[in-house]
Amino acid sequence: MRFIISPETVALRNTGGGLTDLKREMIATLPRLRRFARTLTRSVPEADDLVQDACLRALSRAHQWDPAQPLDRWLFRITRNLWINEVRKRQVRLGDGHVPAEESVELVTTETGEARVAAVQLQSKIEALPADLSTILLVVSVEGYSYAEAAELLDIPVGTVMSRVYRARKTLAKKIAETGGGVQ
Amino acid sequence: MQDHERLSAFLDGELSEAEAREIEKELEGDPALLAEFEAIREADRLALEEFDTMLREPVPFDLAKAIQEAPDDHVANATGAPRRSPPWGATIAALIALMIGGIGGYWAGQSQDSTLAAAPGWLQDIADYHAVYATQTRHLVEVPASEREHIQTWLTNTVGTNVAVPDLSAQGLEFQGARLLVAAGKPVAQLMYLDADQRVVALCLIATEAPREGFAAQTIGAFGMVSWGGAGANFVVVGDQDRTDLSTIAEAAATQV
Repeated sequence: MRFIISPETVALRNTGGGLTDLKREMIATLPRLRRFARTLTRSVPEADDLVQDACLRALSRAHQWDPAQPLDRWLFRITRNLWINEVRKRQVRLGDGHVPAEESVELVTTETGEARVAAVQLQSKIEALPADLSTILLVVSVEGYSYAEAAELLDIPVGTVMSRVYRARKTLAKKIAETGGGVQ
Repeated sequence: MQDHERLSAFLDGELSEAEAREIEKELEGDPALLAEFEAIREADRLALEEFDTMLREPVPFDLAKAIQEAPDDHVANATGAPRRSPPWGATIAALIALMIGGIGGYWAGQSQDSTLAAAPGWLQDIADYHAVYATQTRHLVEVPASEREHIQTWLTNTVGTNVAVPDLSAQGLEFQGARLLVAAGKPVAQLMYLDADQRVVALCLIATEAPREGFAAQTIGAFGMVSWGGAGANFVVVGDQDRTDLSTIAEAAATQV
């Protein structure tokens, strides 16, 4: 599902717009932004924290937003960058040292091992995928990014996008074959 | 590129025309490859369904509130064109219709303290909502018409005034279900109807201690509106601008709410 911007909002945007309308559009984007953040963080509370940070960051830099660009893509970008920073910070705290961005998205949430297992059992097949796979599948298959756009958003090579999208589908297909299809 | 990655890229329309034609040919003559292709397509379908389910989860109210209350970017303010409304007035009317469950309690609590009159900005917000929802045929309503009793109880408790679902079948409208919206900072009940051409007409109501007198027609954006006041609430019927029957619909609804 895509958010549809009202003609009034577009008109306002074209005349320079106001932050009021930016906030309004931002709030309407929240369900999709939360979903994206969930694939990154793999935890609902963390996703909400991340989304909030990203939105506040965006509002504090609203002058950087080019209204000709879709707001959602700008927000996705900010969300993803904040998450990578967070992951890196945690890795430093954990003494893991530097990890390239494309490898770092798998990291640790604050959940304990047991809580995590329980959570995964309750989750959908999608959420049981490794983070890098569910994120790429969301971005390409649902949000409609081209491979090149997804590569730019996630800061990974186009070839990696292609192989991850395939691996995500393959893994899901295997789960379907094992347990049957449909939403749990 | 691995062979099977090509199938996935084919599904995403990421292959050149020549490559795509080649794959199509291979799929015709290779049942195993076709089965593989069907399997990843099925996986994709599952992903779409599951991701779609996530969108229906309520957004925490605190999250939306944090955005509403965040300080404005001064640079953007300085360069902004004149606004439709004061920066803070109608802003509060943030569009949070997607987060029913999570905030129901909040609004229920707030509506008991409804000393505010319905703000004039609510009709603009309703028009914005209509632009969004009238196109959402699959997600037109939150609670379907089959749960009419629940709709009436739920919205009456949340909006803070009696919500009844009028029967507008004599006007050619079939009730589809309801949504909870937030307009001008207050909860709004939105009852959705479809006509024979599958065009959406919405009846919205907001609690107020100072209902307006008489009927008023106006156009906001692409939509026509007829509003009126009743016991403890203001009402509006919204539909496409070219409709000529909005007044009739409003009058029919007014006798039943």
